[in-house]
Amino acid sequence: MIGIAVIVSGVLMFCCVYAIVTLSVNLQYGYTGISNLGLYLPIIIGVLTVGVLPGRLALAVYGLSNLDFVNDNAKAVALLEARLQKDPLTSVMLLVVTLIVVGGVSAFAGYLSGYPALRLPGDYLALFMLCLGESLRLFGMETMSLAGGIYGISIVNLFVFLGPYADLGVISFIMVSAAIAYIVCDRMCKSPLGRLLRSVRDNELTAQCVGKNVSLIKKKLLAITFAMLGVAGSLFALFTNAVVVEGYTRSDFSFWPWLMMVIGGTGNDSGGLLGTGALVIMRRVMIVSKNYFGFLPFDVLWLEPILLGAMLALVLIFRPAGILPEKAPHVKRPYPKTTEEHRT
Amino acid sequence: MIEFPVIVTAVVSSFLLGLLAMGFTLQYITLSVPNLAYGTIAFFTTYVTLTVTLLGLPPYVALPFAFLLAGSISFLLYKFMAFLRNRGMPLTALMISTLVFDFVIGAIMNIYADYISYTMKVFARMFSLTENDFSVSLPGGLHMPGILPVSMLASILIVLIFHTALVKTKFGIAMRAVMENYSMAGVQGINTERVLGFSWFFVGGIAGIAGSLYPMWFFMDPTVGTVMFVSIFASCVVGGLKSMYGSLVGGIVIGFSETFVTYGLVGVFGTWLWIYKSITPMLIAAISLMVMPQGFGGLVSRLKER
Repeated sequence: MIGIAVIVSGVLMFCCVYAIVTLSVNLQYGYTGISNLGLYLPIIIGVLTVGVLPGRLALAVYGLSNLDFVNDNAKAVALLEARLQKDPLTSVMLLVVTLIVVGGVSAFAGYLSGYPALRLPGDYLALFMLCLGESLRLFGMETMSLAGGIYGISIVNLFVFLGPYADLGVISFIMVSAAIAYIVCDRMCKSPLGRLLRSVRDNELTAQCVGKNVSLIKKKLLAITFAMLGVAGSLFALFTNAVVVEGYTRSDFSFWPWLMMVIGGTGNDSGGLLGTGALVIMRRVMIVSKNYFGFLPFDVLWLEPILLGAMLALVLIFRPAGILPEKAPHVKRPYPKTTEEHRT
Repeated sequence: MIEFPVIVTAVVSSFLLGLLAMGFTLQYITLSVPNLAYGTIAFFTTYVTLTVTLLGLPPYVALPFAFLLAGSISFLLYKFMAFLRNRGMPLTALMISTLVFDFVIGAIMNIYADYISYTMKVFARMFSLTENDFSVSLPGGLHMPGILPVSMLASILIVLIFHTALVKTKFGIAMRAVMENYSMAGVQGINTERVLGFSWFFVGGIAGIAGSLYPMWFFMDPTVGTVMFVSIFASCVVGGLKSMYGSLVGGIVIGFSETFVTYGLVGVFGTWLWIYKSITPMLIAAISLMVMPQGFGGLVSRLKER
């Protein structure tokens, strides 16, 4: 029974975190046409912030500054969790401050990364971001003092005040965050802003000609989506209660979300969610069924990318627009149809 | 005084990186699609070298096999992309399609590494074949590893052959025409599909040679392709995004800087800085984008115009 609960909570958590990431990449590429393969750059920013900030803040709040959060990690986490268990207000404050800082730092990084967007053609921007992400990952892995480097660190469970319901609390929080992200993205894309983003994607020059500042739009959009991605990374770290930067690979946190979007449907949030659910469940099934293939002379998990590659190839060949293709935006008429329009 | 192994590291990585960067740019020019599987395909061939060594043969015997293997994979990838392109897929979808190969080749590489480890009980991850290399004694008691002259000679020879083929042969001229204007070349009667297919095969083969030489000096792991992709891309940025020879120079510059700049900074700030060696290429690429956005290729073009 506990095993099933663990699997279900894992699937739910992955679905929700990846849903936020897929919604972000859909906003970037699906709606605005910005190719960014470095999705894990802001995700790692979020993860590192969660590794650096709340633990140290809590140590300062409780006057335990003599402890080093990285070197005395186990002791510090145990002491802090014992205190936070009885102090829900500080826990909530720490959570709020952390998420605000994650959002702010990631948004700033996104705005800054808009500068190469103006200098590089689309595909090279994607690669530039990819390489920036890889560089940040390497930096995180090599810098012990930040979040334990390659070995990682445990972080404080900020929902520990819920007692036995702490895990449920984290999952509920992640689900609510994903729902908010979906509602915001959906409203945004159905509003005039969504049409503006589509116009930038479909014809940048025309958008510029009608007086839209395309570079500013791109920078702002990157800032928003980076903030979303940073929060997704921090939520993932909060769920796992650990920060191990090495685990945030380009494959898991950049390519997978892209595939979820492509398979589900580019420029369609519901399609993105569908792709996310399908791939997350597929991955979980493979991980669970791993135990039945112990006789093979290799780790069966390596079959997963092959299966995924085959799936992607089939989608690209037979359903290039994804399972749920993009729908034309519905625009309300500001005035009723004229008789002439009715005839035509 | 710079130690001899540091110099070897700089020279070997520079020449190999130069080759890899040149190949990446050439593939980009031909289809206008960055090949995300490039690093994985290139370093897949390191396992050809390992296999040859395990069979008791000299490691350099692997070179022709590496060329053929990487060339064939690259050709297959091209065929897949050409198929999608002919169905009217946008460029970004083609870029995503290269991910299919990245996933599959990466997984096969890992499966093979697991299989070798399991059946032959050898290290197939984080391995180096330095001990299988020959060495030449130099005055002063130094021993020059064979990979130093081999990497230099192989790189220079490949570039010379490639340049001669591009300039002197009909096929090379056809290739340049296709690279300049795909549609116009087709109108002129050039079999564009065949030319592009061959160029992808050839370039993939070059990358395979560079990859197969890599474990002769460096440690190899299935993830190396991912990490090296950063250096390859940085080389292309420094060299000029659409200049083949610029990328070659960019690769050499990045390879030397990665080693010597970090080595110099270590001398000033301390040894802790050495672990950040792999970040140096992206820093140089970022600076290059700000100072010289067109890279070396653009610089040469501007000088020619004068």
